[in-house]
Amino acid sequence: MRELVLIQPGRVLVGPSERESESCHAHREFEERLAECGSLAFRVAYGVLRHAADAEDVAQEALLKAYRNFERLREPTRFRGWLVRIAFRMALDRWRSVKRREKREAPGEQPEPRTAGPSVEELATSSEFQARLERAMEELPEKFRLVVLLAGIQGYTLAEVSGMLGIPMGTVKSRLFLARKKLAEKLR
Amino acid sequence: MSCEGYRDKLIDGLASGESLLDGDVAGHLRTCAECKRFYEAQVHLFGAIDSGVRVMVNEEVPMSLLPRVRRLVAENGAPRRSWNFGWGFAAVAAAAVVVMSVGLLRRSPETTGRVAGRGPAVSQGREESARVAPVLPLTAAAAPKHHAMEAKRVTVPEDGESRPQVIVLAEERAAFARFVTDLPEEKDVAVALTRRASDGKDEAVETALLKIDELDVKPLESSNQ
Repeated sequence: MRELVLIQPGRVLVGPSERESESCHAHREFEERLAECGSLAFRVAYGVLRHAADAEDVAQEALLKAYRNFERLREPTRFRGWLVRIAFRMALDRWRSVKRREKREAPGEQPEPRTAGPSVEELATSSEFQARLERAMEELPEKFRLVVLLAGIQGYTLAEVSGMLGIPMGTVKSRLFLARKKLAEKLR
Repeated sequence: MSCEGYRDKLIDGLASGESLLDGDVAGHLRTCAECKRFYEAQVHLFGAIDSGVRVMVNEEVPMSLLPRVRRLVAENGAPRRSWNFGWGFAAVAAAAVVVMSVGLLRRSPETTGRVAGRGPAVSQGREESARVAPVLPLTAAAAPKHHAMEAKRVTVPEDGESRPQVIVLAEERAAFARFVTDLPEEKDVAVALTRRASDGKDEAVETALLKIDELDVKPLESSNQ
């Protein structure tokens, strides 16, 4: 008879009850964050899409994706920033596909050429201003756009945006400065 | 400084959110009516940008969002356990080492010739002696003429001391242990080493045991380090 001495790994069998309790714990943890961060995901998506139903779909997908990968997150304190990035990327993807579809459906349509526009004062008060602002936002680099959106959400200070994105406060300020300057240039 | 220079300064100040004007710029605005008008227009513009962005992102969250997500989460079950490239690589490396070791031992005519005349040998994991489980006799079945893989039933004892065991290189032990710990959740990973016991009760598990006729199995050099 031949015999082999084999090395036994430290924790080969994980009991079903242990696994269940781990899952329950993760589920509870996620649930706690859901209430806090669900609205944030929606608002970021809405800031990109400007369409409530689409933004809701994207926020839902982002939250579900975050849930599926929740245990991969090594630092739970980073959850908000992680979710924001997921929601932002998904919203951008959705926005691009909407734009492509619109382009396919109306290939001959060209944007109206801009004539000598109204003054800054008139623009700022007109209903057209919001549409122009949205277009100007779409043209911003993504990292600037995300900072502008987050800084605009009620209740979030620049320090919180910095913590959420995991970037220094100075970087948040400089991105915001450049973004605002670019927006003003386009809207002037 | 020209009016253009003052205007650039004004815009920079407004873009950075500063409400107080530089003394120099403020002095110029008192004397230059055109720049003052420009300044007021820019204040208006930046204010409109800020309020426009706030409108853009502070839309009321639909009441249906969280219930929808909760329902989907409930349908999805537990979140996925962590499984990253590192574990995958460790698992593949461990499996490859085992397969190559067995393959080399089986194919090498030198080895086969050398071991033919020897008696059985038992390898010892010296470093792990405190943690290594009691030796499980693998099989007492009659030795066939050729090398063969044979499936046998192995019972996992209830005391938890002896468990299914595999050969792993010393440097692969930690990674392999982690891999095995994560294994039950990774349904999409094909593993031939062991099989998960059915949930809920301890019962016999079936595992493929390697039985090599007339083969002297020695400890791998690296496992003694």
